Amino acid sequence: MSDALDSLVYSLVPRARQDDRLKRQLVAHCEEILSSHIGQTAEKDIGHLADSIKRHLLQTNPSGASTLRFTNLLSRLLDQPVLSRKQASLQFLHTLASTPVSAPAASFLPALAPPPPSRPSSKATTPIESHPTSRPHRGKSKADLLREYRLRLGQPHIPEHLILRDTLYLLQGISGKYVQFSVSKDAEQNKELIFTEDPRYFVPAPMRALIHRLAEVGHLYQRVDAFVREREGRVGVGMIEQSLCHHLQTQLTEYYRLIAVLESQMSAAPHADESGKENVAAEDRTREEETGLTLKRLDVWIEDWRLRMRMMSVCVEGARDAHGGALVNLIHGYAENGDPFIRKFTNQLLEEVSKPFFATLHKWLFSGELYDPFSEFFVAVDPELAHLQYMQPSLQGVGQLASDGGFGGGDVEDTSEEHAGGLQLWEQKYRFRKEMLPAFVGETFGRKIFSTGKSLNFIRYSCHDSDWVATRERLSNTGGTLKYSDIVGLERSIDTAYQIASQRLFDVFFDKYKLLDHLMALKHYLLLGHGDFADQLMETLGPSLSRPANTLYRHNLTATLESALRSSNAQNDPPDVLRRLDARMLEYSHGEIGWDVFTLEYKVDAPIDTVLDPTAMMKYLKLFNHLWKVKRIEGTLNSGWMRIAGGAKTFLRVPELEYDWHQIRLVMAEMIHFIRQVVAYCHLEVIECSWQDLSHFIQKKEGDLDALIENHRAYLDRMVKKVLLLSPKAGREENLLNQVRDVFTMILNFREATDDLYNYCLTESARRDAEKDAARGVYTRIESAEDRRYTTESLPDILSRVREYGAAFSDRVQGIVQALASHPDLDCRFLGIRLSFSDFYKTKKEQQLRA
Amino acid sequence: MSTREADRITAAEETLNTLFDISQLLNTGLDKETLATCVGLIESGVNPEALAAVVQELRRENAAAKAAHATNGR
Repeated sequence: MSDALDSLVYSLVPRARQDDRLKRQLVAHCEEILSSHIGQTAEKDIGHLADSIKRHLLQTNPSGASTLRFTNLLSRLLDQPVLSRKQASLQFLHTLASTPVSAPAASFLPALAPPPPSRPSSKATTPIESHPTSRPHRGKSKADLLREYRLRLGQPHIPEHLILRDTLYLLQGISGKYVQFSVSKDAEQNKELIFTEDPRYFVPAPMRALIHRLAEVGHLYQRVDAFVREREGRVGVGMIEQSLCHHLQTQLTEYYRLIAVLESQMSAAPHADESGKENVAAEDRTREEETGLTLKRLDVWIEDWRLRMRMMSVCVEGARDAHGGALVNLIHGYAENGDPFIRKFTNQLLEEVSKPFFATLHKWLFSGELYDPFSEFFVAVDPELAHLQYMQPSLQGVGQLASDGGFGGGDVEDTSEEHAGGLQLWEQKYRFRKEMLPAFVGETFGRKIFSTGKSLNFIRYSCHDSDWVATRERLSNTGGTLKYSDIVGLERSIDTAYQIASQRLFDVFFDKYKLLDHLMALKHYLLLGHGDFADQLMETLGPSLSRPANTLYRHNLTATLESALRSSNAQNDPPDVLRRLDARMLEYSHGEIGWDVFTLEYKVDAPIDTVLDPTAMMKYLKLFNHLWKVKRIEGTLNSGWMRIAGGAKTFLRVPELEYDWHQIRLVMAEMIHFIRQVVAYCHLEVIECSWQDLSHFIQKKEGDLDALIENHRAYLDRMVKKVLLLSPKAGREENLLNQVRDVFTMILNFREATDDLYNYCLTESARRDAEKDAARGVYTRIESAEDRRYTTESLPDILSRVREYGAAFSDRVQGIVQALASHPDLDCRFLGIRLSFSDFYKTKKEQQLRA
Repeated sequence: MSTREADRITAAEETLNTLFDISQLLNTGLDKETLATCVGLIESGVNPEALAAVVQELRRENAAAKAAHATNGR
């Protein structure tokens, strides 16, 4: 290698052949260069090298002929097998070529004497440095021209570091020296950016645009910061908002950190060119290019934060109007975004912000307590009912009852015992606020959560079973926390909590409070399910009920009830049930008789009255009223028929009235048919069917208390609707019922008329018997005052009454059958068909029409 | 000398010629012998850019020496 170097030195510096010292010096120098680090950068690949050589050739010789020739030569060279480092050789040639060949010319200029050979200037030969000089010198750019022009005018462009400092201020929302925020004059008090007119400096337009961009971040920062500060100072800010503020604050701290870093970068940049010397500035610029901070760099640094600030500002804007869950909802609205950056940011934010929400949710879901001091949860408590316990007497309850039904006129001590209804408590103590429900929970789950907490709360306070709830709560605490990122787990825990709570509530109702027993009792007594009891009651009570209402006394009624219970199968019912059964009189007005005002009552207390609320009890009473009437008519007809059928054969021997009696029997049979169908319909078609539905539901034990209430209500409504034959047409609901009641009155009147006739016949036959006796010479006639009522003169009147009522009855029933045929309810329509089985009423009508 | 050796020499010569042509094209100012020396050096593993620097340096030395000689000789 040294040989080669020697020959190289000899060939390039011929004088070295003579001067051995020079030769040695040169060789040493060459070795030094070779062992230095020049050009150890990287092996360029041959294509790239060829490209740069071609470019170089084009520069020196624009015609392109030499490039073509080079391509030829290169391909030939590559074909050669000899050299192993072709590209290195090419690189060598290229480097040599790209250095100026001005060296010989330089010798003619003594001013540019080469540096002493002992101190080589490696810098001069580095390819980096050689590049710019090799390029042809171009004209000045327009920007440079402008800059020079401004400089001549005495208003040079502002040095970047000055404006940079101002921009950093702007980023913190502070006005700088050259650029300031100012409140604009329009109504919204928006900030706008003002560039101070400084006679010494001029801020060029591109720079202004850049600063405007950067200042947006500062402006947003101001808004967010103001929001956080404002909330900090205020009392009564919701917990969700507090945590939002906290998150914003941490974000802002991040932001401060960035600003601090940027600021330190800026101070690292030189301050030397305060004087504004152009050449110094130019040198600085080259150095700044590598290290310092420029406006454009700042823009890149801030870019990320611009987005973040925008998001935060949007949240802040939304937070002004929204509150609690609605706020979470609002933020959640931004989480569904295609941009992963926004999504990530929002998710983070949501995770933080929803923490208090989930804390409240946990408490609600597992212990049924609503801890929500700022009413942010989607469950709201009714302040009036919040502290209401079951056993407290409440005026509200009384007022409601009095206005609702108006029963309980006689006894004051009864009504005062009423308390706030369980149903009212259950339904109104907590309210579901849909607008506060976070969207990620979903409404069905929201409802479940609502119901779960409500159930727990109810079990705890209304059913006095707080031990169980407490145990449950402790158990649930081990199950981990709820949080936003684990929605699936959340849904699972909601589901289980819901199931457990509902199950428990069901158990409490059916096992502890024996709801089923009460429902059965209601069915047996109020709906006259126990036939023997009803008959017994009717029998013992009947005579006293025919008297005017004001002659009835409650103690008599209760005593009768007691004896009816004892003498019927009902005595086997649990005493707890019988204890609740009571006989009462409704509020009566003048002229009413016992039948109109008598009622049975079944007393329920907490917490059963959640299901059997006062309205439900009203419906039961209504049903009882109707069924009792039906029962009465049935009883009346039965006894009447017995009398007629029995008596006619034995002692009513008035032959001329035989035909009338026959007619009466016909009508009565029709009546009995009618009432039997009605009774069968009520009990078999309506009450038992509805009961079956209800008991199916109860056996399944699905759903929560709401479902139970709902089902019971449906059961009751169905019965009311069908038993009372209510039609859905508005304003005419009770048309049919009134007709049926009319029919009942007719039957009663008819019965009265037949009784009169019966009595007449009795008197008449007695008179005839006496006549016959007298003919035989036995005097048996006892003249009494009452017998005079049934004289021969009154007979036509009685007969006409009988006929009139009979015809009226038939007419009414015909009307009812007709109306039932077009009744929207299928069961009612079937009742019509049963009443007019074999088209009895239809043919009758046709006969009438023909006649 | 075998034919293979002769082939190798002609191939080397041809390569050198090609390189010389490129050198001429690039106006490097190297004569054929110097080029051959340099290529040899490169083949033996010298960094091409460093070698270029050496050539430049030597040229400058030569010029300086010449100038010095000229002034001395005057």
